[in-house]
Amino acid sequence: MTQGSTERILHAINSVILGKQQPVKLALACLLARGHLLIEDLPGVGKTTLAHTLATTLGLRFQRVQFTSDMLPADILGVSIYDPEKHQFSFHRGPIFTQLLLADEINRASPRTQSALLEAMEEQQVTIEGDSHPLEDPFFVIATQNPAHQVGTFPLPESQLDRFLMRIQIGYPDKQAERALLTGEDRRQMLRQLQAEITPPQLIQLQQAASKISLSDALIDYVQALLAYTRNSGQFYNGLSPRAGLGLIQAARAWAMINGRDFVIPEDVQAIFPSIVQHRLQAREHLQSADWAAEILQQVAIP
Amino acid sequence: MANKRSAEIPSKSSIHWLMVTLTIIAIPHFFYQPLWVAAIFLLMMGWRLMNSWYGWPLPADKRLLKVLHSVGAILTIVLVLYSYGITIGRDAGVALLTTMAAFKMVEVKNLRDVYLSCFMGFFLVITHFFFNQSIPIVILMLVNVILLTSCLITANESDSSIKHRLKQSTVMVLQAMPLMLLLFVLFPRISGPIWGLPNDAMDIPDSLPDSMTLGEVPPQNSAVTGMADNITIGNISQLIQSDAIAFRVRFDNNQFPERQDLYWRGPVLWHTDGKRWLPLTDNQKRYENGTKIHVAGEPFSYSMTLEPHDRRWLFALDFPTDYPQTMRTRLSVDGELNSSDAIKQRTQYQLSSHTEYLFNPQNDPYLQYGLNLPEDRHPRSLQLARSLLEKSPTDQSYIEAVLNYYRQQDFSYSLTPPALRGDTIDQFLFESREGFCEHYAASFTVLMRAAGIPARIVTGYQGGEINPVDQVLTVRQRDAHAWTEVWLPQQGWIRIDPTAAVSSERVDFGIRDLLPAERRSPAAIAKNDRLVELWQSAKNNWDALNSAWEMWVVSYGPDRQLQLLEKLGMHQPDWEKMIRWLAIGIVLIFGWIAWTTLKLKNLPQDRVQRFYQKFCFKLARHGVVRQPHEGPEDFSRRAQLALPHHQQQIAMISYCYMHLRYRGEALEDDFIESVKNFRPHR
Repeated sequence: MTQGSTERILHAINSVILGKQQPVKLALACLLARGHLLIEDLPGVGKTTLAHTLATTLGLRFQRVQFTSDMLPADILGVSIYDPEKHQFSFHRGPIFTQLLLADEINRASPRTQSALLEAMEEQQVTIEGDSHPLEDPFFVIATQNPAHQVGTFPLPESQLDRFLMRIQIGYPDKQAERALLTGEDRRQMLRQLQAEITPPQLIQLQQAASKISLSDALIDYVQALLAYTRNSGQFYNGLSPRAGLGLIQAARAWAMINGRDFVIPEDVQAIFPSIVQHRLQAREHLQSADWAAEILQQVAIP
Repeated sequence: MANKRSAEIPSKSSIHWLMVTLTIIAIPHFFYQPLWVAAIFLLMMGWRLMNSWYGWPLPADKRLLKVLHSVGAILTIVLVLYSYGITIGRDAGVALLTTMAAFKMVEVKNLRDVYLSCFMGFFLVITHFFFNQSIPIVILMLVNVILLTSCLITANESDSSIKHRLKQSTVMVLQAMPLMLLLFVLFPRISGPIWGLPNDAMDIPDSLPDSMTLGEVPPQNSAVTGMADNITIGNISQLIQSDAIAFRVRFDNNQFPERQDLYWRGPVLWHTDGKRWLPLTDNQKRYENGTKIHVAGEPFSYSMTLEPHDRRWLFALDFPTDYPQTMRTRLSVDGELNSSDAIKQRTQYQLSSHTEYLFNPQNDPYLQYGLNLPEDRHPRSLQLARSLLEKSPTDQSYIEAVLNYYRQQDFSYSLTPPALRGDTIDQFLFESREGFCEHYAASFTVLMRAAGIPARIVTGYQGGEINPVDQVLTVRQRDAHAWTEVWLPQQGWIRIDPTAAVSSERVDFGIRDLLPAERRSPAAIAKNDRLVELWQSAKNNWDALNSAWEMWVVSYGPDRQLQLLEKLGMHQPDWEKMIRWLAIGIVLIFGWIAWTTLKLKNLPQDRVQRFYQKFCFKLARHGVVRQPHEGPEDFSRRAQLALPHHQQQIAMISYCYMHLRYRGEALEDDFIESVKNFRPHR
């Protein structure tokens, strides 16, 4: 069941998002690994479409919040309002109470609003005036972010970037895909017609299956070698955290599952590695421009 | 396979890299060699560069190439003959090698040619050592070797970055170091011309002459300032201009004699015609046991490292009582230590000397030579001698009176005395009264002989500088000195230094303090005491490093080798033992390298991993090399593309391996069986 369904999901998404098999696959792996996803790219390359398509095909309820600089935490989390009839406060749920939240242009919001969202993501609940309101399960955040050098942005601090399992880029479509996009149907129309491929309970099953993908000692050795390299090579200001290591393993498992394997091989780790480490590591000056995630992979031998 | 590879065409970048390397290697030679060597070299490099930048044609046609070969070879040989008159020997040989390496560059076509050029480069690197054996040159050579090794790497792996290839070659050169050290220490040293450097390898620096002439001031820029066969009185003062090292001394147990006892004995001069002073002729000189030395006190034992001076004498602390028999060293009756051959290379010898001694107190075979004066010369000096003698009851008091004469009259010590004409001794004693150790020694000797006291001039060095870092005493040419010995009954030959009577600082503090400050340290810092101090300590450290280098590396010859090996505990070392230990050492080093490499590669303990490596090895032989970071699936895909007719086998083995290693199950025996049966071919 698992492989069939992941294939169907991918197929459905790729029929809308053209020529972006790799980012789509990474995004799905991220969600199957129960991770939140950060998409960083220029406006108009299909970030929102990707999030929307994912939500629809996975059968998830979808909310979109456009972040702005004057947004307050309550605009996302919800607010307690005094009800004069009942003589008590009642909690009005914010848009975060959904299954898939698209936080568009998260770096346009003030740090206070950003951190309110990220705290809720971490704790799986919203606490307002002493009352805890659990978030839904499954719950995902797909945040999009403009490249940091654009005007009017508050870049996410490193500690908060760490809350996102993956950061991916979509990039421009290739010539052929773009042509199909330009001549083809309206994407919004397509989205409306798109059917859910699985139900939320099935998604949870898939996530559980992914976490059971077997992981050999040899592979853990490899992941540890990668972590050690980032810490000891001196090419980065800080090495990868153990949380990043856990993320690598979760994502590699999901990736193996998507590829129809019930065990993880080094190639799985290599495939998801850049998207997991690139927002967590800060390369020293001389490495800034190079594709250093690939370079790490080149340097570390597979044990 | 090997032939196929060597016929491959090297990449442009590897050829450029090779050219850069060869140029760096050749540049120091340009300074030693005639201009045409540099011209041909740069011309050929330029041609090759034009070829790769603008596509200028290279001699591709076989016949053209042959013509060029012959023309180039003949031209070079003619030029070498023109410059050196010979095609062998150090300079001519290096000139030939340099030009040939340049010519080769133009015809580099395939990998084999690149290898050949690299090996010529290695030869060229070695030749640096013929000209200079100092530490900076060795560092330069090491850099050159690293560059050449990186050329070999680049030829095989042209896509690597410069940084990467340099790093890799440095690692390789460092890995070769233990073997190099082992060979250096243990390879049997043979003394003789085959193993030694070419005769012209050492430039003979300044040195003491073996005679001197009073009165003529030598031409200022004479090529050899030093103790030559015929020397005029200005010669030693010219030596003062030279900072070149004469010899280094390391006293055993750091037992140093007093500063005023640091007289380093060299040639002894007897005969004079009133101007020139000469040693005993070869017929007169005797070596048999005509010398009687009575010593007192403990001897100083020390090892000397003598710079080549192309003469036979060896210097020794006055007076050598024990000297090495190995160099066929002889001590002449007048106290000259001689080697059987001229010293053309840096030489080390071990000596013992007593500073308190009586030299031939009963009699001396040469006493009559010590009284000879030329007839009808120095009338005023003889008159002075007579008048002083009248006032002096004993020889001792006469000597004292003469020394007092120097002190009381207006004599001064000068590095630049005026030229003397006519009767030089008289002129000096009564007119100029300004002179250097030679003037004092010569005039004093004349005054002694005039009074019937046997006297002779001893030349050599006085003083030296002790480096506080390694306690090595360095004696430079500027420490050259001349003094007098007189013979008194019951006391034998006594050293009397008339120069000290005039300028006691010369002996007490050494010549250094008499030199102007600019000569002690660079003029720019001479005014700043702190900097002078720093400069001095840096200089001391550098000198210490150099003398250790020369002692332990450059002059590591057969004697040193035996000494060292005995110290290291080898009982009676001979070449057979050395070879045996060398073999053992080589086996150990290679064993160690093999062991660490295998350990580094983490030779897998489990069978699966071992057989997977076997599988990879089989593929590697067919050019499909698994990169360390390449996962099994990626590698399998690549191997399948490279060897399409083994697609199924490769896929099967990789599939089994992935399941075994990353899933922990599958059919291990099947996997191993299929790896065993895997026989790839193209």
